[in-house]
Amino acid sequence: MIDEATRREWIREFEAAARRPLAQRFDYSFIKTYKPVMDDARFRSFDTMEDYRRWCEENLPPWLGYGRV
Amino acid sequence: MAAFSYRQAEEIRDAFAAHEVRYLFLGKSGAILLGYPDTTQDADLFVERSPENGVRLVAALARLGFTLSGSDENDIRRGKDFVQLKDGPFDLDLIFAPDGIERFEDAWQRRIEVAEFPVCSLDDIIESKRAANRAKDRESLPRLIEFRDWWRARR
Repeated sequence: MIDEATRREWIREFEAAARRPLAQRFDYSFIKTYKPVMDDARFRSFDTMEDYRRWCEENLPPWLGYGRV
Repeated sequence: MAAFSYRQAEEIRDAFAAHEVRYLFLGKSGAILLGYPDTTQDADLFVERSPENGVRLVAALARLGFTLSGSDENDIRRGKDFVQLKDGPFDLDLIFAPDGIERFEDAWQRRIEVAEFPVCSLDDIIESKRAANRAKDRESLPRLIEFRDWWRARR
C-alpha cells in the first residue's frame, strides 16, 4: 500500500516524463554499471526460465536483486 | 560499453523489421518506451519461438553486429527459454518463454505500438514481473502498477 504523498510524487514524475520526447526520455533511462558475474560471460543460454532463475540465485551476489522472494 | 541508447533501439527495430522478426519489447525497457520514467541497463525482447523466426532472428543479430558462434546460433534458432548476449554492440536479453505470459500470439494481440516499436502491454509487463517474483521486481511493481493506471486514464 502506498501513501498518498508518494502516489502524487509518482504522478508528477509520470507527467514530467510525458512532456519529454521519446528519444530523450529513453536515453535518460538507460545506465551502464558493471554487474559482477552477470557481465563476465559473452553468451549464456538456458533451456528453461527455471534454470535461469536458479542460476541467478546460485551465482549472482544477492544485492543485485535477481533472487526470488 | 556505453549505456544502451535510443539510436540502438531504433537499430533493433529496423533490423528486425527488415528480417521480419516477430518480437516485442518486454520488461522495463518496454515500459520505458511507453513513457515509464525509471532506470534500467538492458533491453529485454520477447521473441516468438518458431523455426522460421529463429532463422530470421539470427540474421538480424548478425546485421546488428553480434558475433555468434555456431553453437550460439543453434541455441537461438532452437529458441531456448532465455538467451543473454553480452558480446555485441550492446547487451541484449532474448526471452522465448517469459514468466507470466502463456503464448507469444496472445501478447502480440495485446501489444502497443510506439514509434513502430512493438511493445508488450503494461498488463503483460506487470504479470511477467509478478510471476518472476525477484526482489528487484517486487520493489518496482507498485510504481509500475501506478504508472499503468495513470497511462490508461490518459488514453
